[in-house]
Amino acid sequence: MKELSPRERFARAVRREPVDRVPVLYRMKAEAKAKLARIYGIEDAGTGRKHNPELELRLGNDAIIYQIGINADFSHRHIDIGETWHNHFGVGYGKSGLEGRTAEEELAFAKTQDFWGPAKIVPENFPNFHPIKSEEDLANYTWPDPADPVMLAPIKELCEKYQDDYYIIVDLSSTLIEAAYAHIVGTQNFFLMTFDKPDLIKKVLDGLTEYYTELGKNAIAMGVDMIRVGDDVGAQQAMMISPDQWRELAKPRFDYMFKEFRKANKDLYIKLHSCGDYSPIIPDMVELGVDLSGLMQPTGGNKDQVGIKRKYGDDLALIGGFDVQNLLPRGQVEAVRNGVLETMKNLATGGGYIFSPSHYILADVPIQNIYTLIEAQREFGTYGKYPLN
Amino acid sequence: MSEPVLEIPEGWEERAVDGWEWATLWEAVEEGDHGYSHDRVQQAIDAGIDPRVILDDGLFPGFNLQGDRFSEQIIFIPEMLITARAMKAGLALIRPLLAANDEKPLGTFIMGTVLGDMHDIGQSIVTIMLENAGFNVINLGTDVHPDKFIETAAEEKADMIGFSALLSTTVYYQKVTIDEFEKAGHRDKVHILIGGAPTTQEWADECGADGWGRDAMEAVKLARRLITDQRGAWA
Repeated sequence: MKELSPRERFARAVRREPVDRVPVLYRMKAEAKAKLARIYGIEDAGTGRKHNPELELRLGNDAIIYQIGINADFSHRHIDIGETWHNHFGVGYGKSGLEGRTAEEELAFAKTQDFWGPAKIVPENFPNFHPIKSEEDLANYTWPDPADPVMLAPIKELCEKYQDDYYIIVDLSSTLIEAAYAHIVGTQNFFLMTFDKPDLIKKVLDGLTEYYTELGKNAIAMGVDMIRVGDDVGAQQAMMISPDQWRELAKPRFDYMFKEFRKANKDLYIKLHSCGDYSPIIPDMVELGVDLSGLMQPTGGNKDQVGIKRKYGDDLALIGGFDVQNLLPRGQVEAVRNGVLETMKNLATGGGYIFSPSHYILADVPIQNIYTLIEAQREFGTYGKYPLN
Repeated sequence: MSEPVLEIPEGWEERAVDGWEWATLWEAVEEGDHGYSHDRVQQAIDAGIDPRVILDDGLFPGFNLQGDRFSEQIIFIPEMLITARAMKAGLALIRPLLAANDEKPLGTFIMGTVLGDMHDIGQSIVTIMLENAGFNVINLGTDVHPDKFIETAAEEKADMIGFSALLSTTVYYQKVTIDEFEKAGHRDKVHILIGGAPTTQEWADECGADGWGRDAMEAVKLARRLITDQRGAWA
């Protein structure tokens, strides 16, 4: 097959049509991206809403993914020790890893992190204030503006600059259940309130559905190819909530959201992501008309990648599946290479697959493993050659 | 997957008072009705039933049933949480009575998420399950510095410590914290358990932990087993 453009390659794989080679999508958190960007001489290694795709394109990405959901700001920005920073949802975020340290100690600590091998620790920003805990909070709550130009303008620029060559994805994560528990109401509150205050939970989810439906439609109006909805409902070994509770709380809201998206553009493609094991609801995702799904962590509850591919490969394209919990950060080079080979054999055979680590590349991944990943992906990811012949 | 069944404690009728009925409490704990659990346990106390009997015959059956269903992925976090809350509501009333009867907790367990990691869904479930199982649990929350674990363990003369971590970038601090216990000369005084998404038995072996729990119920079973193995005494 003649060489396809990255855009065509990605689009075809999503439609489960033949491609020249397996398309790829690498995503990195700020620290990992900064490490690699220095090597490539790329000065702007922005992530989140400041995402600059140049580095990822150098690594071989066929698509550009730009995040505008509730996660896009807090996890990618600097927050001072002791500061609580509030985002446009009124959720507060603080910084971990530096409890009780002075500014000097923080600086000294930061220097120790600046080396190539596995990072010892990465201070992480995390929600520490949840704005809705009662009916009264909800009554006084103002949902953010889904037409916020600050949020939407970069999408237009990305489309203008890159869309001729690359596939454009806008990421709305966290979108619904996760946005509610992790950000808006707090995790334990959320789980208990599904029993104690079910109406309040439903109203919060309705508010999120309305906001993200409009936000997504505004992104779609700019011509994006795919909307990615990210909603973590899986834990390592099982789902967090029961499949039935997901069907009650999430499914009808996603159904509404996706129908609205497709009214705005009938050719839109949709990806639904969850971390962890969500295999019990994959059939529901098929019913919702989802085009692209991630795979479980290969170290978690459902490890049967071949089985998932066999069962759902005719209905969904798949992405991910390469272990980022153990193999990528801790594996020896040869093990990483074999891991890529296995992943390609399991998932790329027959097409409909996009190669990707099962989540972000984090700061603890050694540079040599990132290079091995890319090299092996190029070696083993071409159709017509081993192992895809 | 097998469907767990309610294990009715043998001979419960002899241990209760005449005409007493536990079935409604078993069901209340199973269904997470903490108001009823509180009231029924108070009635049992008022009726003069031994607090140990209330715990074993009244509260544990429904709790164990849901715990097994949680392990089997028949129920999930919200259902487990409301059951644990219902058990806790009853336990809160009988704990002082147990103490007055000179019944000691199974052991003192220090729980926390390691430095740099803010995730607490998993460890807070394990905490509540351990408390219900009879441990005195001190939860240090998230982002816990190794020094804090060591200080608290020494102050409380801890029997067991649990380190949680969700990220591949932070599991390393499970090992660092274990090494710090070693350096401080306290490693032989405590059992150390680890857990969290990227952890495995292999990692537990590598980082020098005494055990690893695949899920919350396994962690509790492991803790109950290890606690019988006496460690070195605190000064």
